[in-house]
Amino acid sequence: MRRWAQRTHLAALLALAVAACARGEHVPVGGGIAVTDDVGRRVTLAAPARRIVSLLPSFTEILFAIGAGDRLVGRTTWCDYPPEALAVPSVGDGMPPSVEAVAARRPDLVVLYRSGPNVTAAEQLERLGIRTVLFDLNLLEQLGPAARRLGALTGHSRAADSLARVVDSLASLPPVPSTQSLAFLVWDNPPIVIGAGSYLDRLAALAGARNVFHDVGSPSAQVSIETIAARDPDFVAVLSDSASPEPPRYASRPEWRVVRAVRERRFVFLPGQLFGRPGPRAAEAIRDLRRRLEAAP
Amino acid sequence: MRYVLLAAAVLATLAAALLLGPANVPFGDLLASPIVWQLRLPRALLAFLVGGALGVSGVGLQALVRNPLADPFLLGLSGGAGLGAVVAIAFHLPGPWALPLAAFVGAVGAMALVYRLGLMGGAELDPRILLLGGVAVGAFAAAITTALVSLAEAAELRNAFLWLWGGFSGASWTTVLVMLVYAPLPLVVLVAAARPLDLLALGEEPAQYLGADVRRLKRLVYLSASLLTAAAVAVAGVIGFVGLIVPHVCRLLWGRLHHTLFPTAFLTGGVLLAAADTLARTVVAPRELPVGIVTALVGVPLFAFLLRRWTVS
Repeated sequence: MRRWAQRTHLAALLALAVAACARGEHVPVGGGIAVTDDVGRRVTLAAPARRIVSLLPSFTEILFAIGAGDRLVGRTTWCDYPPEALAVPSVGDGMPPSVEAVAARRPDLVVLYRSGPNVTAAEQLERLGIRTVLFDLNLLEQLGPAARRLGALTGHSRAADSLARVVDSLASLPPVPSTQSLAFLVWDNPPIVIGAGSYLDRLAALAGARNVFHDVGSPSAQVSIETIAARDPDFVAVLSDSASPEPPRYASRPEWRVVRAVRERRFVFLPGQLFGRPGPRAAEAIRDLRRRLEAAP
Repeated sequence: MRYVLLAAAVLATLAAALLLGPANVPFGDLLASPIVWQLRLPRALLAFLVGGALGVSGVGLQALVRNPLADPFLLGLSGGAGLGAVVAIAFHLPGPWALPLAAFVGAVGAMALVYRLGLMGGAELDPRILLLGGVAVGAFAAAITTALVSLAEAAELRNAFLWLWGGFSGASWTTVLVMLVYAPLPLVVLVAAARPLDLLALGEEPAQYLGADVRRLKRLVYLSASLLTAAAVAVAGVIGFVGLIVPHVCRLLWGRLHHTLFPTAFLTGGVLLAAADTLARTVVAPRELPVGIVTALVGVPLFAFLLRRWTVS
């Protein structure tokens, strides 16, 4: 009787284990780690991740900032900061990720930006038994939560929490009274500008510059040259990776010279590595923008 | 009466394009303001010229292939233009005119290829071969475009597509000048072909018996209509729908004779596109809509209304 009970008990355990394996989940043992990602999935790890593939430059930068850079076994071609990141093997441009290239790095955790194609890629990776997390990272206030959870998943919670506190306090600062105005011009034909609901809009506000397209709700929007001229920004801010940027080609065209800031060549060039994505160096970016605006003619 | 209405529509559209806009220009400063002089006026004129060119090109091509579904972009031109634009960005061709020029070269290249296909085996631009060749060349160009986009790691390529979807954000006096210098020759060739095109509507053999040089006519019409469309692509990207609908609207209102069809299609196309562009840059201000969306939203109900009247009577 007892043996039978033992046997059924064992069988039940086995069944549970099989069921758990079939679902591709590791049962957390003792001090297991559990976080909820931004698609609402509960992600559990038995131990801090040791082999991580990061599929967004911001995640790569955060992982290095919290001291987990040595856990990275894969990155995208865009992950170029910090310089140590370049030593990590690239798995391609990550848009969308090559599931096979990612799996070939034999990661125990893949960190993805939440987007339609990435959700599909994450499902495919999970089916291969690889754990994934999907985080939003479009805004300053999303940096802290992402850093905290990456800290938990890598066992670097203390460093991650202190980083998160810094960016959270930045995110909760009231905007500095603005003395100057600017427009972020992403593309000239058709003209695409950055609106509110974006990282850059927030950085500008904290650097004391008013984004003249703050009333546009979406992160970016197509506008006409006439609208830019009517909003009359003091500066046109342009993302540029060049070391010695020159005024854009359109600056000399008569139709663009209707915009005062273009006519007077009041361009502010922002390095894409620092401004093109939300990252742990947000405070540095704000100071940098402030400095560039003060130094501008 | 219809001609008076058309003339009034031309004037009203151009006036609205100059008066309306997100910037507040006092009425008295209208002629002195750089906003009107450098932005609104060239943009209105360019939209009008491109609309006119697409309308005329559509009339010519629909007569040539004798198919009501023919659109100036059907014969591989949009695929070729897209390939040109993406090549310009992927290979960082220098100069402010690199992108439009490359799009023009791509469109003309696709056109030449379809033209060559149309002449194979003495086929003499058989409409069926032209349509099939156009679709095939367009698909081939689109495949190369997609391959380039997925292999070249340039985020800027997304913007090549934004440009290709068409619009007049880049309008300037230079682009107006380009159209003004370039468009008259193909326009004159098409208008001169009005009478033989009327004969062609009866069929190729009857047209031949009635004295039309069908071979020469088809080649001239094909080349002129395509070159007009290629110029439109270079200054404004691919704006669909105008070249498809305007010829039908004009046929419903003014009949099937090409000597009235060409001028009315030019003016109607101009009015439609200039009005659509004015709406595109004002209705959702400060944002702007792609003009192709507006042409479809305004044009389709109008077309449905005309079609209903025409089928009822």
